[in-house]
Amino acid sequence: MYGYWGKILRVNLSTGEIKTEEFGEDFVKKWLGTRGFGIHYLLKEMDSKVDPLSEENKMIFSTGALTGTTAPTGGRYMVITKSPLTGYIAMANSGGFFGAELKMAGWDAIIVEGKSNKPVYLRIEDDKVEIKDASHVWGKRVGETERILTEEFGDKHVQIASIGPAGENLVKFAAIMNNGHRAAGRGGVGAVMGSKKLKAIVVRGHKRVEVIDRSKFISVVREKTEKLKNDPVAGSGLPSFGTAVLVNIINQNGLYPTMNFRYGQFKYAEEQSGEAMAKKYLKRNKPCYACPIGCGRVNDMDTVGETEGPEYESTWAMGANLGINDLASIIEANHLCDDLGLDTISTGGTLATAMELYDKGLLKQDDLGDAPPFRWGNTEVLHYYISKLAKREGFGDVLAEGGYRLAEKYGCVDCFMGVKKQELPAYDPRGAEGHGLGYATDNRGGDHIKAYLISPEILGYPYKMDPHDISDEKVKMLILFQDLTAVIDAAGMCVFTTFGLGADDYRDLLNAAFGFNLSTEEWLKIGEKIWNAERLFNLKAGLKPLEEDTLPKRLTDEPMPEGPNKGHVVRLKEMVPRYYALRGWNEDGSISEAKLKELGLEEYI
Amino acid sequence: MAQVKFFATLRDITGKREMEIKNVKNVAELLQHLYEMFGDEFRKEIEERNMILVNGKNILDLDGYETKIKEKDEISIFPPAGGG
Ligand code: SF4
Repeated sequence: MYGYWGKILRVNLSTGEIKTEEFGEDFVKKWLGTRGFGIHYLLKEMDSKVDPLSEENKMIFSTGALTGTTAPTGGRYMVITKSPLTGYIAMANSGGFFGAELKMAGWDAIIVEGKSNKPVYLRIEDDKVEIKDASHVWGKRVGETERILTEEFGDKHVQIASIGPAGENLVKFAAIMNNGHRAAGRGGVGAVMGSKKLKAIVVRGHKRVEVIDRSKFISVVREKTEKLKNDPVAGSGLPSFGTAVLVNIINQNGLYPTMNFRYGQFKYAEEQSGEAMAKKYLKRNKPCYACPIGCGRVNDMDTVGETEGPEYESTWAMGANLGINDLASIIEANHLCDDLGLDTISTGGTLATAMELYDKGLLKQDDLGDAPPFRWGNTEVLHYYISKLAKREGFGDVLAEGGYRLAEKYGCVDCFMGVKKQELPAYDPRGAEGHGLGYATDNRGGDHIKAYLISPEILGYPYKMDPHDISDEKVKMLILFQDLTAVIDAAGMCVFTTFGLGADDYRDLLNAAFGFNLSTEEWLKIGEKIWNAERLFNLKAGLKPLEEDTLPKRLTDEPMPEGPNKGHVVRLKEMVPRYYALRGWNEDGSISEAKLKELGLEEYI
Repeated sequence: MAQVKFFATLRDITGKREMEIKNVKNVAELLQHLYEMFGDEFRKEIEERNMILVNGKNILDLDGYETKIKEKDEISIFPPAGGG
């Protein structure tokens, strides 16, 4: 087979058994890769109702169809498992170099099952796979873990996906990190790895990923890479300013969530913008594997030395959402989250929830003792509580459960700004209503990256849509984005390529690699199948669509108090039923039999 | 008098973050004025694609380049940009 090896590694940590399984081209045509492969195995082999932190939960680390090839940004992998944060599907995506290395070692995916009773790591050198003792790195931060395991392997080209103390301590929003600062961040996938006592996967490969017709593939890759390089966003905006160029854009458009989504503009946004970061701290930009864009920032700080990030999301999560304006503190906090192995969005969202509770007098200083007060804008909160929550010390133990459970504990669920118990990212949907529908219907809960409607609603890609239009055209655009993103994810490419490429470009790359002759519609159908299969997993796990495909009250009932979106709410109730209908689902949000049949999903019910 | 704000690369090209501007009726006139002031480099950066907001509202959701500019309006001009 081309593109893939047709080989899956199955590792059972309870028994120590290591097996190889094979798949053929049919499987690729059915599920494409990453999220597709992952959801197939979860639906087939696991009861969706299992406790996410139990032995029964499985984790799939999967490459995508073009991972390890020369396709632009073709280096990504995903971790698919049941999320301890949401109780639904988690599918976290990461760049860097780990995914490509895994493929080059001759493995398309790893299924991790069971639970070890002592800390271990998985060592993969091409065909040789071993489960090794990890007690000497247990408790260590990500940077140090990578350093020690690289040394132990004796090859500096080794790639490592690992967890930090946060994952070990089962923090519900712990991430899996690779290359120090690249995160399979969302949904608490790091906690699942921690529950299995799996500290890291260390991999080194020496194989070349083959495509069916090398010269044809190279010419398609060249054409698409040129397209990206000539695009003003992918070719110049993102490399110059990184994703944080959005700080000023989103703030000027009035949807930069400020102080737990109370407001849509932050007075000090300028001070934490991509422009400010480039001027003050930027050393160079840093691309992931085979990426011609290079949005990653390498910043230099007196306190932490050379570090990467923060991206737009992290800047906001540690900044405006907490009323914090000091960029140096934000960069340090981001570094700390990476090193402890934490998802920055959920970390920030949880701290924002605490600030809201403190402000309302529901969380009292007595509950915190001598620890810093959760006052808006208090930079002390960052370092102190991030360190505590990763270790579950003191009040950190409460924070480690995430914003929803915190808000519930203090009697104010409405103080939590998230969906399906996952903290929302950096766009107030009262300024982009279609994006709000995206939050409400995302299979992994509060999330922006699985259907980025900010593109048409704010940035004007592929064309400009009014952010307050909620017609069927908007709903259809969301559905298209959800399905197309599933294809891009499963291809192992980065979603930022959408700034320069369209659906037909992904079709060309995939067809050229595999020698398939599928139409854009056929590829999108696979995306639709993945989306529906993930939904099916959630329904089987107990999702109550009418109650949970929703947004926090603040966004649907409290009009934006000021700025360009003043007076607007998200008219979610008017959109959700049409979304269900246009998806071909039942009125109660379940998937209709006809749709399951059309997509070939009956065998998974 | 209206306020014009520049972002990203436009700051280096114009050497400014913001400026005041008088006597322009609409966005088209404003751009003409800015092209004359800051030359080809500025024009090239935003001619094909851009994001222009009048009081935080995208002109593409208003009247495009015909969008009127009034006293005290705030106009934000960005080169094409994205992220996530
Ligand atoms: S655009 Fe950024 S995140 Fe995406 S592959 Fe390139 S460097 Fe990595």
